[in-house]
Amino acid sequence: MADGSNKSMIIRMFAIICVIVLLFFGAASVNLVKIMIIDGEEYKTKAAAQQLSDTTLSAKRGDIFDRNNEVLATSATAWTVYITPQDIKTEEERKTIASGLSEILELDYETVLKQTQKKTYYEKIKSRIEKTTADKVRAFISEHKLGSIVGLDETTKRYYPNNSLASTVLGFVGTDNQGLSGLESYYDENLSGTDGRVRAAKNARGADMPFSYEKIVEAQTGNSLVLTIDKYIQYVAEKYLEKAVEENNVTNRGCVIAMDPNTGGILAMATKPDFDPNTPFSITDEKTLAALEELKDTEEYNDAFNKAQKEQWRNKAISDTYEPGSVFKVVTGSAALEEGVVFLTNSFSCPGYIVIAGTRYHCHKHAGHGTQSLGGAFANSCNPAFIQIGQTLGVKSFFKYFQSYGLTEKTGIDLPGETAPIAGVTYHDGSTMTNIDLASESFGQGFNVTPIQLITAISAAVNGGYLVQPHVVSKIVDVDNNTVKNYETKQKRQVISTETSELICQLLESVVSQGSGKNAYVPGYSVGGKTGTSQKLSSEDETARIASFCGFAPTDNPQIVVLVVLDEPHAPVIYGGTIAAPVAGSILSDVLPYMGVEPAYNEEEMSSLSVSTPDVTGKSLEQAKKAITDAGLTVRVVGNGDTVERQVPSVGQPISKQGTVVLYTGADQAVMVEVPDFAGLTVSQANSLAAEYKLNIKFSGYSLSASNVVAYSQSISVGESVEIGSVITVSFRSSDSSD
Amino acid sequence: MSRTETTQSTEKPTKKKVGLLQRLLRSLYQPGKMDMTFFGLVMLLLVVGLICLFSSSYAYALQNYGSSYHFIGKQIKFAVAGVVIMLIVSRVNYHFYRKFAWFIYIVSVIMLAVVLMLPPLQEGFDYKRWLVIGSFNFQPSEVAKFAIVLLFSHLICDNMKHMKRFRFGIMAFGLLLALVCALVVVETHLSATLLIFAIGASLMVVGGIKLRYVFGGLGAGVALGAGAILTGVVDYGSSRIQSWLDPWSDPTGAGWQTIQSLLAIGSGGVFGAGLGGSKQKYLWVPEPHNDFIFAIVCEELGFVGALAIIVLFGLLIWRGFTLATRAKDKFGALMTFGLTIQVGIQAALNIMVVTNTIPNTGISLPFFSYGGTALIMLMAQMGIILAISRDNNMSK
Repeated sequence: MADGSNKSMIIRMFAIICVIVLLFFGAASVNLVKIMIIDGEEYKTKAAAQQLSDTTLSAKRGDIFDRNNEVLATSATAWTVYITPQDIKTEEERKTIASGLSEILELDYETVLKQTQKKTYYEKIKSRIEKTTADKVRAFISEHKLGSIVGLDETTKRYYPNNSLASTVLGFVGTDNQGLSGLESYYDENLSGTDGRVRAAKNARGADMPFSYEKIVEAQTGNSLVLTIDKYIQYVAEKYLEKAVEENNVTNRGCVIAMDPNTGGILAMATKPDFDPNTPFSITDEKTLAALEELKDTEEYNDAFNKAQKEQWRNKAISDTYEPGSVFKVVTGSAALEEGVVFLTNSFSCPGYIVIAGTRYHCHKHAGHGTQSLGGAFANSCNPAFIQIGQTLGVKSFFKYFQSYGLTEKTGIDLPGETAPIAGVTYHDGSTMTNIDLASESFGQGFNVTPIQLITAISAAVNGGYLVQPHVVSKIVDVDNNTVKNYETKQKRQVISTETSELICQLLESVVSQGSGKNAYVPGYSVGGKTGTSQKLSSEDETARIASFCGFAPTDNPQIVVLVVLDEPHAPVIYGGTIAAPVAGSILSDVLPYMGVEPAYNEEEMSSLSVSTPDVTGKSLEQAKKAITDAGLTVRVVGNGDTVERQVPSVGQPISKQGTVVLYTGADQAVMVEVPDFAGLTVSQANSLAAEYKLNIKFSGYSLSASNVVAYSQSISVGESVEIGSVITVSFRSSDSSD
Repeated sequence: MSRTETTQSTEKPTKKKVGLLQRLLRSLYQPGKMDMTFFGLVMLLLVVGLICLFSSSYAYALQNYGSSYHFIGKQIKFAVAGVVIMLIVSRVNYHFYRKFAWFIYIVSVIMLAVVLMLPPLQEGFDYKRWLVIGSFNFQPSEVAKFAIVLLFSHLICDNMKHMKRFRFGIMAFGLLLALVCALVVVETHLSATLLIFAIGASLMVVGGIKLRYVFGGLGAGVALGAGAILTGVVDYGSSRIQSWLDPWSDPTGAGWQTIQSLLAIGSGGVFGAGLGGSKQKYLWVPEPHNDFIFAIVCEELGFVGALAIIVLFGLLIWRGFTLATRAKDKFGALMTFGLTIQVGIQAALNIMVVTNTIPNTGISLPFFSYGGTALIMLMAQMGIILAISRDNNMSK
């Protein structure tokens, strides 16, 4: 024991032990008292706040269907990819993550690498990725065992399978799937459903913990919309509108509305250029993009970009106002007929101008239309005649119909952004309207309406006289397709009598069959309509015009009304009858057969009908020749074999009755020919040119009975090399409309 | 005769060999009864530690390794091995180690130097603390701790008289200690440096250096520490200081670990959520099986449980102190004392870090934190204390 600890050592050891136990453990214990007992509740609350996830179960947004239950907008599950940079252990892991994720998610490697270097526990790498991509990320995670670092959160994403189709009507949603424009916004409450909630414990990765105190309130899927819009009609309308906007260099966009005049159901509503609701924030129009590109890096860029965005989202058909011009003569004319101040038997003389209260109004035909019937006045779209009609009607009666046709109120269409008319600003109130105002208003100038207001008024004029409320949604259905709400036809009032309406239909039919609306003629169908070319009095550009046409068919029982508005076209000819009427005609010719309206051809029309080429490949030359001649077509043989090896055009192609079928009997080289220019040619000139080049023509958009019909576009461009016998679609239009 | 002689002569070397081995074994063998109180405390801490490790690690293990048993499975094997080793070591005459005091010191200095020259184990981290040999990875600083205890006990025991001399008691020991501390601090392993310094300094104090040096040293230490922090010499620690003073200044970054730890401890309240009831272990507290295991223990066992564990450590230290005073020689006393306070200071530092009493320095909790090599070394050291206790009981 002598060698054992001495007293001094024991005292010193004791002192050190005391320091450790009392000072160190003491301090820690005092701190424990503070943390656990004094501040315990506060920490507990904070901990609970982060552990208890009050997760919102985002409800699945309802779909949007067209009238035939074709999907126009739908929601699908999407994923957000995130990482926990703090858990990255090695530099190798960091590089694997950065290169893997940047490749799968198509992101910049350096950007992702920077995110992995952050000292945080949650870094969002990319949101709203699709299933296929999410699956790839999952495979990547399990391949490299990155479960603790890379994760996926589930959300939903809105899809518009038809891309830009009906985009200005459908609108789009924001990042939280909230409706921001169009139907998505107007019916947001119905579509969005009710979010559910989960109160559950969660770990730091947001995953649920195995605890029993979960409380779930299920999310309720939003209701779906079934529209009156028909995907096919919408597609057709957009196709021809887009073409017209491009061909005529329309600088302030164009729009088309197709509507069922009896129910007010919108069959199609389009504005061009528009946007893709899948990527609503990118500019779609190439010209606008090019213009923006030039502004890049300047101060104006952001403003210009924002303006371009807002413009492409704007539904021109309901938000823009314009002076309707001559199309409005339908309102003036029907009011005068209804009031009994004008009769079909009345005649109107037009010396080329008219003077009202000292103001001289010129007719678009400066030489004058001479003496004409009411039908003539419509067909000629004669301004002096309608000024006279307006003056006969008087301010009071005129305004009564103006009001009655709904032009002083919103139509109430179920879309956001309909422009409201304002007395004294967009139109003259009856109490302040002068005869001079009346004179220009009689032919549709001096006041503003929206396209939807105008088509609603025209529908009333042709549907038997009833003003109906236009609507886009026909019913709301729940997730199990049970109807939640039906939108019935809403008749507001009867504006004119059924008899007057029938008269108007007849008068407007002659506008298309003989007058300024010839280019809207559809063989086999009775189409009525009215052209319009209005000055843009609001524009600084004096030559700025709006070309429009409102047509309907069939005239004895209108099923569809189509309004085409081209705002500021810049083409050699910019009359509504020349550039807007063909759009309506093309739409109607595609849509009427689709709608099941039976055609009734006259003899002339029959002759211009196309014939399907018979199948003669593999037959003997003799048999083939007979089959083709029997079909009323001409035969040309290439080679000197006995059997037909190949035929051009191929089986079932519709070609003109005067067409040619080329038969190859040997292994001969295809005989090629350069496509000639058909522009400006009449039908017969075009036929003989086609025969000369051994080509076939398919006629498009013309009425044989109309005068001055010439070709204006062709499906295969001039100079292109094609096989003889090939079919070229040539579009014709009448060039004698001047309104 | 000759025959018998030859037989005898041929047998003689064998006998001698056996005799040598026997003598060697006999000299190595430590007879006597070990101190059952200390043994009991060690076993109790070990078992409680394992239970807490399982509870705190299973969510983390499941998330990161796909099995809740990832850590506990391994740790139980190490614990069993550790107990066996402890019992074996407790039978080894502790004087045996004195022969290796310098050798172990030099080896640990070499290892500390080697670690510095190796590339960091994890890219992107500045730590150079780990040495990998085969499938073992361990921190040379763990060995250095033991080396300091052994060497200092050895030297002080032989030179008690000279301890009062500045040149010997302060300069010589100071240099030996400073070399190790310098190497560890360059590893940027602040907590280990502190721990080694505290153990070494304590042994010097017990060894009998003059008290004015003790207080002078304390004063100088405080001044140096403050200076280092203020002048930014301890650069890597500054964000730690920041997150110590105000963890909420960077709640998702530097402050995360501290905040999550505090939330866990605070959630415990007086009686805790019950064993297994922690919510913070669900990946909120980073590495809940390691340095921050005590936070989870607090959350599950409450203030009562946490205090009980602190008391257990206190009892272990107290018993270690008692055993030190009973040791038959100064070497045994110093060894027992050194190894005891090593556990004590480490536990204290860990609990102070977890409770944010001091800045986060990265130090594990003995018997609780996951780590096989460290546990086995700890158990072996406990075995040395038990061996010394056998010696004590022998003399009774």
